[in-house]
Amino acid sequence: MGEVAEIGALEADLTGFTGVAVAPVSVAAGFPSPAQDYFTGRVDLNKHLIKDITCTFLVRVAGHSMEGAGISDGDEVLVDRSLTPVDGDIVVAVIDGDMTIKRLRLDHGRVRLAAENAGYPDIVISELSELSVWGVVTLCLHHVYRRQ
Amino acid sequence: MQGHPGGKVDRVALVDVNSFYVSCERVFDPSLEGKPVVVLSNNDGCVVARSNEAKALGIDNGDPWFKLAADAKRTGLIHRSSNYELYGDLSSRVMELLGRFSYLIEVYSIDEAFVSLRGTPEDLLKVGREIKAAVAKNIGLPVCVGIAPTKTLAKFVNRVAKQNPALEGVCSWDTLPPDHAETIMSRVPVTGIWGIAGRLGKKLNAMGIFTIADLKAADPVAMRKKFSVLMQRTIMELNGIPCIPLETEIATKQQLIFSRSFSTPVTTASRMHEVMAIYAQQAAIRLAKDHQQAKIMSCFAGTSYFNEKFSSFPSATVNLAAPTADPVLLTKAAVGALEHSIVDGIPYARAGVMLTDLSPAGAAPQLPVFATAHEEKHIGALLGDVMDRFGVSSIGLGRAGMAEAPDWGMKRKAMSPRYTTEWDELPLVKAS
Repeated sequence: MGEVAEIGALEADLTGFTGVAVAPVSVAAGFPSPAQDYFTGRVDLNKHLIKDITCTFLVRVAGHSMEGAGISDGDEVLVDRSLTPVDGDIVVAVIDGDMTIKRLRLDHGRVRLAAENAGYPDIVISELSELSVWGVVTLCLHHVYRRQ
Repeated sequence: MQGHPGGKVDRVALVDVNSFYVSCERVFDPSLEGKPVVVLSNNDGCVVARSNEAKALGIDNGDPWFKLAADAKRTGLIHRSSNYELYGDLSSRVMELLGRFSYLIEVYSIDEAFVSLRGTPEDLLKVGREIKAAVAKNIGLPVCVGIAPTKTLAKFVNRVAKQNPALEGVCSWDTLPPDHAETIMSRVPVTGIWGIAGRLGKKLNAMGIFTIADLKAADPVAMRKKFSVLMQRTIMELNGIPCIPLETEIATKQQLIFSRSFSTPVTTASRMHEVMAIYAQQAAIRLAKDHQQAKIMSCFAGTSYFNEKFSSFPSATVNLAAPTADPVLLTKAAVGALEHSIVDGIPYARAGVMLTDLSPAGAAPQLPVFATAHEEKHIGALLGDVMDRFGVSSIGLGRAGMAEAPDWGMKRKAMSPRYTTEWDELPLVKAS
């Protein structure tokens, strides 16, 4: 019987549970909870995932050409415009007026925007000066739980 | 002010974004680059921003869209409705970025700021170029920078930078050859200077002052007597004497206006009451957010200036019993103000509510008799919180509470997505 009661109490607790509280605070008999001194707020994803929030933009991926890099159709990616792109970075580049996501390859003086899916062609750019990089991709929000 | 060790001087840089609204549209739609683009005012009425290519087509700010639309296909002119969410977000990003170059900046408008700088003239020119490069790379917006000893001169050299492609968007008063500056000043009409509007320009012309150089040479004291101390300051600033300090402390706003043009005219008194109630509540929420209260409320409505059949511009001013931010009181006042002057059948094209005589909430403690029950319960702040969470049509008082689809809402047919403020409207990047 005692066991059942315990489970019941646990369920009751979970029903009202929303969000991730780092330290619960309840005030009893006018004394502040000792945990209050340690309450630092919930984990802030902006703080940990974005280095420069002023220069960072969220964009959504449409298409399958980057699946080899773990970036799927419908994923959101963070783009930090303050970073200077180097060989191997995944970038958002402007191609014919469209924003396009590709891996930047600078080899032997050639610029290549490489797809990460065998079914899609790379884009070769003859001159570095013709390359227009919109920003460098730093993080992908890949949706794992797809059920409605 | 000037003459620090090592040849360092104090200067102010005016940084402003070129064709701000159009440039914001281009950040997320690079296909607009190099094409004639205009952004239209509220309700898709008239042109409020033009790209250089649109300027080259002879399009002016204020041109009504219905006149341009017919020709747009032939000229390739592209139009967008105002996307204030996008412009506001990019503006705040620019201002934050500018704050990295100086501890002292004054945000002067949505697309321009004064930045206080100290250094040698050569260093400051370099800083100006760094600012331009940083905003272009990090936000994607083109800016011009004018650096000078005074705000008035900074405005002037910013204009010089804009109009001389050779300067590549950055111009410094100190490194501009003096004869060069004088030549430009003797060519630019006096209305081209900050603070001299058209009407004042005409008065100056009548006195024989036609160009900026003419005004610069005028006697500041004599001109103060003829005009005002503002004119004296402008003249002194043109001569390199700083008189208009950077306003880094946000001054108490003197007025609060909620006004819109309607996409479909409002033709009944009962509909107009709803409009007034909504504006009054938005104003109350704003007051609560700004920790302010108002003493005077003005309400106005009007028919379209293009309507030849109907011409009606009723307005009324309410002197509130005591300064208040109470949405219940303000709503009652707004609805009551125009109650008897709105005539059923007249097509009103616009209406608004203006609050003036603003004071900080609690600056002069109210006598208990004037503090309303609603105010004590912070209804205004509560309404604001509910609307922030559940949308603006989720809650309201009186007629505004009836959340029927408002057909008098803004017409923004050609609005781009709110790329940076709405999860469902993020920009798409192609992976194909």
